[in-house]
Amino acid sequence: MGEHRYDPVTGQYTTGHKWDGIEELYTPLPRWWVITLVITFAIAIIYALLYPGWPTTRFYFPGLLGWTSAGELKTEKDAARAAQAHWRDQIAAKPVSEIAQSEELRTFAITGGRSLFNQNCAACHGLGAGGQQGQFPSLIDDDWLWGGKLDDIYLTIAHGIRNEDAESRQSEMPPFGEMLSAEEISAVADYVLTLSDAKAVEGRKALPGAAIYEANCAGCHGAEGEGMREMGVPRLKDQIWLYGDSKESIVHQIGKPRMGSMPSWKPRLGDDAVKMLTIYVHSLGGGE
Amino acid sequence: MHSGTVMPTAQRAMRQGTPHAASGRFRRIKTFLTLFLLGVYFITPWLRWTRNGETAQAVILDIPARRLYLFGLEFWPPDLPLLLGLLIFSAAALFFVTALFGRVWCGFACPQTVWTDMFFAIDRRIDQQFGRDSKAGQWVKSAAHVLVAFFTAFTFTGLFIDITTLAPQLISGAAPPAAYVTIGVLSFTTYMFAAHTRENICLHMCPWPRFQSALLDPDTLVVTYQNWRGEPRARARVPLRPALVDMFSEAPSPAASLLADNGPYRGDCVDCGKCVSSCPTRIDIRDGLQLGCIGCGLCIDACNTVMDRIGRPHGLIKMSTDQSALLPPGQQTAPRFLRVKPLMFAFVMLVSGSAMAWAIATRSNIDASLEHQRQPPFVKLSDGSIRNDYTLRFAHRGGDISSVGVSVEGLPGSAVRVSTSDLPEPAFLCNRRSVSERVMITVPKDSAPEGRVPVTLVLTDKGTHAPLARFQTYFWGPGGARP
Repeated sequence: MGEHRYDPVTGQYTTGHKWDGIEELYTPLPRWWVITLVITFAIAIIYALLYPGWPTTRFYFPGLLGWTSAGELKTEKDAARAAQAHWRDQIAAKPVSEIAQSEELRTFAITGGRSLFNQNCAACHGLGAGGQQGQFPSLIDDDWLWGGKLDDIYLTIAHGIRNEDAESRQSEMPPFGEMLSAEEISAVADYVLTLSDAKAVEGRKALPGAAIYEANCAGCHGAEGEGMREMGVPRLKDQIWLYGDSKESIVHQIGKPRMGSMPSWKPRLGDDAVKMLTIYVHSLGGGE
Repeated sequence: MHSGTVMPTAQRAMRQGTPHAASGRFRRIKTFLTLFLLGVYFITPWLRWTRNGETAQAVILDIPARRLYLFGLEFWPPDLPLLLGLLIFSAAALFFVTALFGRVWCGFACPQTVWTDMFFAIDRRIDQQFGRDSKAGQWVKSAAHVLVAFFTAFTFTGLFIDITTLAPQLISGAAPPAAYVTIGVLSFTTYMFAAHTRENICLHMCPWPRFQSALLDPDTLVVTYQNWRGEPRARARVPLRPALVDMFSEAPSPAASLLADNGPYRGDCVDCGKCVSSCPTRIDIRDGLQLGCIGCGLCIDACNTVMDRIGRPHGLIKMSTDQSALLPPGQQTAPRFLRVKPLMFAFVMLVSGSAMAWAIATRSNIDASLEHQRQPPFVKLSDGSIRNDYTLRFAHRGGDISSVGVSVEGLPGSAVRVSTSDLPEPAFLCNRRSVSERVMITVPKDSAPEGRVPVTLVLTDKGTHAPLARFQTYFWGPGGARP
């Protein structure tokens, strides 16, 4: 190690190192660069103290600020909720029939209900609420299993159908395959097929299935097949057949009935959301 | 050129700060235009207009409602193509004026020029009051600059928020954040551009000077230093070239003798430097037509003042064609105004202007759209009839329609219903904001079409029974989708 020597050719000092007579000019890192580097160290340390990041074997250091991404999401959701509070509070406080009367609340409910529906209901009932033949009922036609008035729709969405909710819609069609013979089921299916044909009123009394229908089915489905909404009993005299309008489907449905179920949405979405969904579904063309 | 009397341009010290005031015809035009344009800018937002029975700001762009009001006119987003027409018209007008008269836009009407000119005027007043080197004067100047910049930004923001309530809103913090940002940014840029960068914007930032050369031609009027008359430059005590003495007399001397020779004489230019010191972009016009010249003509005024003083005729620097600079009057050709280029731009102005006028005159006050709901394409009802659903969006200008009737043509036996009304004659109420309605068309089972058939939905004003809109759409029945 030698002395710093002034090099007249470059006008700079040397480091004093010499290798086989070769010297090195003293050109340190620029001061601003070193200071910037030190500042980044400091920022990194402060950041690591403030925010979570250091794992241990079983826990992690949560950071002095206590920040979490879940917490940030909650803050944002709360803020969004607070921005809607003016309408949401009114919707929560009023019955659905009153909400439908107020143009302002109705507009809010339909807009919010649409996005709620698309997120929660569309998986079964379809984006346009058209249902799926053989699976899930259409919500935009004028046929309702459990009633199409605002209060009926509200109850159905809030508590669902045939689920473990204590207030859910409950009913059951017995499997007639265990009670009637195949011939009898075939005969009653023929009879049921005539129910939706207004012109066949006279002729169907003579069908062999008439008596079987009278004895086994009319109790719930009605003498003319008008159905019973309190029990969710489908109307048989209309043109809408959820599980198919062919004789084969009807025979199958009599022998081994399929019955849809629907979860209760009030515990999951909250009362105000159910009310918004009710208004939306009611507005789709089938509402009574 | 006489040695020792003229300093080469490159060595001439660059002027700093405010140019010297000129007085004359161009200064008067410029002052008038500057005051007029600033007046239009600062007064417009304060004008009121009675609209649908309410008095509101006459010119306002209501961003949340997406409306632009220009006095009696109301513009909606669908009118946006009009903006394209306006831009085409403005561009053609700019090119037209430039092809005929050079960069008069730059010199008289460009906001950068107008604001810079105002700031120059402020600076001169304050310099007169406090003296050029006064510290207090500098502070007063800066304060005045900031104040004007702020009011510029405030006025601009007032085109978006009712300006009569803007100040209280800003103070109380009720104004939207965008208002603070706009005022902040625009105050800053106005202050920077008009108080500090000034002519450097024209010289270094603005793209317009870069392509002006494509628009100028030998017949365009530009600010020209008459070389043939001015050269050689020398102090006033050097005798004037004899040929120039009575160049405008009845019997002109032979043209050739008007051109400079190398005798012991000077031309009309006494090299006083007034043209340079009065130039807002601090160029020397005597170097010929150049990028930095914004065509304001202030050097003409300055030079004419000097010509008056030394008893020589005006016009050593004048608005003329570029080719006139080198040729004495007898050899110049008069500029032609009827040329292909300006006529072409005039044609574009005519076409875009009349297209816009036609569009505004015939535009519909209705903005409506109809969308068929395809999920599912149709609904079967309990009695077997088939229903199709449509989403109708409807909005209209003005407040003269209260209720809109909906009916269907081209589908026998059909019935229409809208979701908000159970009336036998379907109609929906229409207030000023836009309305979204679910329209349902039902046909009985027997007359339901196979597949897709075209139908027409008609909207009528329930009050006057005037047709408002017709939509060609489709009605889907069962059976058509399958082969």
